[in-house]
This record gives sequence, C-alpha cells and structure tokens, in this order.
Amino acid sequence: MESPSTQLATLVIERLIKEDLLRPDDRGTLLSRLAEGKLKQEDWWLAVELSEAKGRVK
Amino acid sequence: MSAALLSLKVEHLRGSVVPFVLRFEKDKNLTIVYGENATGKTTICDALEFLAKGRVGSLEDRGLGHRLDRYWPSLGKRAGDISVSLDAADSTCTARIHNGNVKVEPEQHRPRVEVLRRNQILRMLEAQPAKRYAEISRFIDITGVETSEDALRRLIESLNANRDTAVAVVAANENTIRQFWEGAGSAGKDPMIWADAELRKDLLTLQQTALALSQLRAAYQRLGDYPQKFEPATATLRTAERAAAETVEKLENVLATATNEAGELLAVLEGAKPYLKKHPNPTACPLCESNEKAANLRDRVQQRLQQFSTIQDAQKEKVRNDQVVQRAADALASMQADVQRDAQKFEELKRGHQWSADIKLPEQPAPTRPDELDVWLAVARELPASWLAFEGAAQEQRKFVDTLSRQLKTYRDNVATQQELDILLPRLRRAHEILVEERQKFTDGVLKKIAGEVGRLYEAVHPGEGLEKIRLELEAGRRASLEIGASFGGTANTPPQAYFTQSHLDTLGLCIFLTLAGMDNPEGTILVLDDVLASVDEPHVERVVEMLYLEAARFRHCVITTHYRPWKEKLRWGWLQNGQCHFVELNKWSLANGLQYVRSIPDIDRLRQLLAEVPPDPQLVCSKAGVILEASLNFLTELYESDMPRRAKGLYTLGELLCAFDRKLRQALKAEMLSGTDASDKVIYKTVVLGPIIEELHRIAQARNIFGAHFNELSFELPDADAIAFGTQVLQLVDAVVDSENGWPRKEKLGSYWANANETRRLYPLKKPV
Repeated sequence: MESPSTQLATLVIERLIKEDLLRPDDRGTLLSRLAEGKLKQEDWWLAVELSEAKGRVK
Repeated sequence: MSAALLSLKVEHLRGSVVPFVLRFEKDKNLTIVYGENATGKTTICDALEFLAKGRVGSLEDRGLGHRLDRYWPSLGKRAGDISVSLDAADSTCTARIHNGNVKVEPEQHRPRVEVLRRNQILRMLEAQPAKRYAEISRFIDITGVETSEDALRRLIESLNANRDTAVAVVAANENTIRQFWEGAGSAGKDPMIWADAELRKDLLTLQQTALALSQLRAAYQRLGDYPQKFEPATATLRTAERAAAETVEKLENVLATATNEAGELLAVLEGAKPYLKKHPNPTACPLCESNEKAANLRDRVQQRLQQFSTIQDAQKEKVRNDQVVQRAADALASMQADVQRDAQKFEELKRGHQWSADIKLPEQPAPTRPDELDVWLAVARELPASWLAFEGAAQEQRKFVDTLSRQLKTYRDNVATQQELDILLPRLRRAHEILVEERQKFTDGVLKKIAGEVGRLYEAVHPGEGLEKIRLELEAGRRASLEIGASFGGTANTPPQAYFTQSHLDTLGLCIFLTLAGMDNPEGTILVLDDVLASVDEPHVERVVEMLYLEAARFRHCVITTHYRPWKEKLRWGWLQNGQCHFVELNKWSLANGLQYVRSIPDIDRLRQLLAEVPPDPQLVCSKAGVILEASLNFLTELYESDMPRRAKGLYTLGELLCAFDRKLRQALKAEMLSGTDASDKVIYKTVVLGPIIEELHRIAQARNIFGAHFNELSFELPDADAIAFGTQVLQLVDAVVDSENGWPRKEKLGSYWANANETRRLYPLKKPV
C-alpha cells in the first residue's frame, strides 16, 4: 500500500497540473519530493514560475 | 489473495510442550478454535504473532518486566528450541530465535498478521487521543506533504513581505525622484522621463574638463612655487661666489709671503710623494739624476712638505669653495630648467583640451625664466580658484547623477519585482489553497471511510445504532490527535466511553480493529481474534458471530479462538453458516501432551457418517437421528407456531413434536434444495414434499426409543434395517430443510417462504395455513 503521504501527493500534483500551476513534465520529480517533505521554498518558486512561463509561451 | 494456509506447526513456544500441528481445512479461510480455559488457544495466537511480528503479545502488560522473551519457551525448553512454521500452498516459512532475535526464513514469506486479544479490545477507545492517532497513522500520516506545504506557506509569507517592501521602496524612490525633478524646475510632466533625460546628458565632457582643470591647477601650483625658491638659490650662489673670491685672495697672500715659486715647488714636492712611496730609497734624484743628496730623500721631501701646510690649507679651502659655487650654480641652473619644463607642460595642458568659453585661462604663455614668473603669476592669481569651483560643481553633478541613477534603477527593479510577484503570488496562493483543500479532503475522506466502515460493522451487531453515527475527528489545534464520537440517546458525537455499556464498547472496539485490519491489504492478512467474544453479551453474540463470518471472507485467513460454548453448539447443529468455517476443538492441555485438538463436525454430517459405516451401528444411528429429529421438529414447530402443550421448560417428546403438524400444514410443507444451474445460469431447485416424510417418521419413530434411547429387549427382535430406515428418513428430512454449510432457513423472503444463507434451502409455506 502506498503511504498516505504518497497517495495525497499524487492527488495534489494532479490537481496542480490540471490548474496549470505545475508542468506535467515535472510530475515525476515533484511527486516523491512532495510526499517526502523535501519540496523547499525555492523548489515551489521555480516549479510555479516555470509553469507560468510555459503558459506564456503557449 | 495470498495462497491458502495448509498448516501451522508450533514447537516449544508457550503451551506447545510437544510439537503441535494445526492443519487448516481446504477451501475454508475461517478457523474457529474452541477450547475451555487452559487448553492452549492463546498459544496458537502467540505462534502466529511470533512468526509475523517477532513478539508474543499475550505476555505484554502483565507486569513481567521487559525481558518477556524469557517466558516464550515451553517449560524446560530454551529460546533456541522454539520453532514456528507456517505452511501455505505456495510457500513455507519458519521463525526461530538466533542470538536473541526472532529470525524468519525466508523473510519474504513472513506472513502479515493482525492480532486482537480480549484485553486489547478497548485499546482504541480508552487510549489517549495521541495514541489513538498512532493506531491509524499508517492510513493518515501525511507528515511529508505537510512539511512541503509548510515550505510553500513560508514562501508565500516571505514573498508577501518582499512585495510589501518593493511597494514601499517604489513609493520612496518615486518621492525622491519627484523631489529632484521639482528641485531642477519640474521640467516636462513626468519626473521619470525627466530623470531618464538627465541620465542621458553628456557627463564625460564635464568630467574630462574637470580632470583637465585639476591637472592645469597642479601645473600652475608648481610654477607658483618657483618664485619663493628662486631668490634663495640666487642668494646662495652669490654668497658662495663671494666666499670663493675671498679664498683665492687668501691663497695668493700665503703664497706671496712664502717664496715666489713656493707654489710651483709645493707642486713638485707633492708630485714626488707617490714616487718615493713606491721607491723609498732611491740612489739618485729622480729629477736631476744626481746621487749627491739621494740618501734620505724621502724623509727630506716629507720635511719640506710640512713646511708648506699653510699653503696647502689655503689651497684646500679654495677647492672647497669652488665646489660650493659650482653646486649653487648647478642648483640654480636646474631650477631654471625646471621652470622651463613646467612652463612648457602648463602650455601643453592648456592646448591639450577643448575649453568651453566659460573657463578662463591665462592670456600670456607661462614664462620659461624664473625671474619672469612673479609677474605672470600675479596676473593669473584668481584663475585657480575658479577652476577649483568648476571642479567642485562637476563633482556635485556627478554625485547627483549617480544618486539619480541609483534611485531610478532601484525604482525600476522594485517595479519589476512587484510586477513579477503580482503574477507569481496569486499562483502560489492558489497552489497552497489546493494543498490545504486536498489535505483536508484526504484526511476527512480517510477518517470518514474508517468511521463509515466501523459504523457498518457496528450496525450489523447493533441495528440502528451504527450507520452514520460513528465519527472520527482529528482534534482541532492539536497535532496527531484523534477523537471518537458516537450518537447516544439522540445526541450526536458523544464520547462512547462515557455512555456505552461495556458490551457495546467491546463491540465497538472489535469493529474498529476489524476496520483497521481490513483497510490495508486484507487479502494478504491473517486475522487473529483471541477470545474477543468473551465480553459480548448474549443477545448480540449471534450477530457478532455472523458479522465475523462475513468479514472473515475478506481476509487471507481468519483464526478465532473462543471458549463460548453456544457457538460450538450452534455449529454442531448447523444453526450457523458453516460453509467457510473450519471448526476445531482443543482438548485439555497437559504437560505430557501439550496442545491437542479434534475436528468438530456438525451432527448432521455425523449422522451421515454413521449411516455410511459398514455395517452401520443401529444404536448410534438412532440415537443421533433422534436428537437431530428433535432439533428439526423443534425448529419447524417454532417457525410455524404449532399448537403444543404449554410447559415450564418447553421440553417435548418426539411424539408430541411429530403430532404438532396438522393436516393442512403437512400438506403445505415443502422444501426446495438448490441443485445447480441450467444452461442459462438460472438456479435450479429440487422440490421435496415434507408431509410424507413427517408421516413416515411418525410411523417409525418408535425405532429411536427402541434402538437409540434405552436398553430395550424389543430391539433384539427388530431388524437393524428398521433403525437404518429411521436414520435415513431423518437425514432425508433434515437434508431437505438444512444445508450444514449455509444453516437453517430462518429468513423471511419476498413474503412467501423462508430461506437460509445463500438461499440454498427454501421452506414453504411462510405461515401455517389456517
């Protein structure tokens, strides 16, 4: 059974991607780090900023 | 689903003083171990826990200290003698103790086991909220996500502060630039446009002019220094020249008072000194080559020279003074050369820059002679101060431009920061909102799922008291803290510990345990319930048992130990659904034999076995058949509320029971036995009319008393076939009505018949015909 943190992290990441707050390409790297509590302030900043940049390019 | 269990072998653990093997029945994943106290039920539970978790929970919380493993081996055995093996259809694993640790080989086949003991049943209810949380943390612990969420929250706080700072700095910069703009006369309409224009102005020329002026000022300063040095230098030369003239005069007087030729002679004598030093004893005069007075020539020359010392002194003074004059003359000449060079340098600087009209310069070229400088300097005296003022103004302008530039840059940087944050922050806040929403939804979902499942199980035991009435809540404001609430007397969310009876609490505790055990891979889990029925009150036991039967099917295997005798009897009589159930009964434990068990089979199956024996034993057949017939008729007369004599203890003879079916009921009684399915998968029932069977039993019922109840000489004269016919007829009746795997038809169906579990038997009519 996946840990509760991993289950929740999966739900959160999918929702953030759906709302264009994360890039789908970042799913793999962000999921485990979110679940393990390793997403730092700078990681959030970069990930959300990149998704915004991607949105602008589109 | 993990592979089925085949057997459990326990050696020298707790009560297993001799090796004990519990063989699990094929295709039955529920094993009920019945035994009186001290028969070894708990040892079986201990063995499974030892194998799965390396511990023996039955010894815990008994005040035995920390080294409980001292009590694990059977009496007279050592830890190394303990061995527990579980044989499954696809694997075997064994637990032993090595160096004080329980080691399972192969480790990958270590089974997953959840054990609930009677003394632990209230653990979840009576625990502190934090411990209660710990019990369910494996389903709800989202610490990792919470840590990441906290990082996001702190980032938003930090960026909010950054944005506030940027806004404040932008306002301050705007104010400063506006003040500069107003100070400069408020040119144009926009201070920022003005500031840009200011920064585009040519600062280089201004700075180059300031630098050139600085160099020109230094050159002027150097020229200005000469007049005050020139006079002393000239005076020094004149003084030296006077001193030298006096020395010449003095020398001339000395020579005049000596001989007219003293000077020349002194020169000759001085010239002889180096020669005589080299030739101390000449044989002849080196000058006239006479040897007449050659002896002691050196001494005599020295003697003559001393006589001329005054002349020598005067000559030395003259030389010295001549040198002083020369040095003074050289210094003056050097100064004149310096003046010439600096004057030329000044002129070069003057020519080397494109001066603007507002800068004044000396009209005359700088003189190259020191004695002309005074006049030239006097004419240009005011100019260096104006040059310095220009330099100062240029420096101020530079400072202003630097300040303006910094202000404008800071303003623009902070505007850019603010704009970036105005885009980023709403997205970060939305991400945080999603995290919070999903976390709460997830946590609530898990708690609701657990509470719902607990409620469903509890409802099965206490109808109307479970569904939607059990709540689990994380305590607000406290981390990792869980509260349990239940409805009581119409009041929702009350603590069950405060209002529930002990029996209700036990049931609730059991339901919580079953729920948690079933949430994590139940198909791979062996569920062990050690005597948990002990405190459930009688009216609810049957429903608890039914609930356990249903729940056990979800697990890999379920082992339930009990000393609840009615359970055994209900199984014996097929009152419970026995299809999935393997029932074993433990014999009295002894030090010599340890644990021993027999397989208990329902009486109906026992009758079948007795009839199948060759030859069958008439007494045993009739005895068993009689009891089964009594049970069957008892069931039917109760079901149809037959007219019976009223008796205090409700005990009736076989004859009375057989007479209780009136003609209409006998004609209406029929059973349907599930016999399979047809080609279209529709179930097929075989109909058995019961009236003729009951009438035939009525006719031959005497066989029970003659063969099976008492010693009766009449039995000597009757053929065994009569006894076998009685047993066969009873079996025919009971087979029609009861399916030992699915129990008796006790449930009313569709308002038209009675049915057992899985509807393998249907009994008509629903009501006794009037």
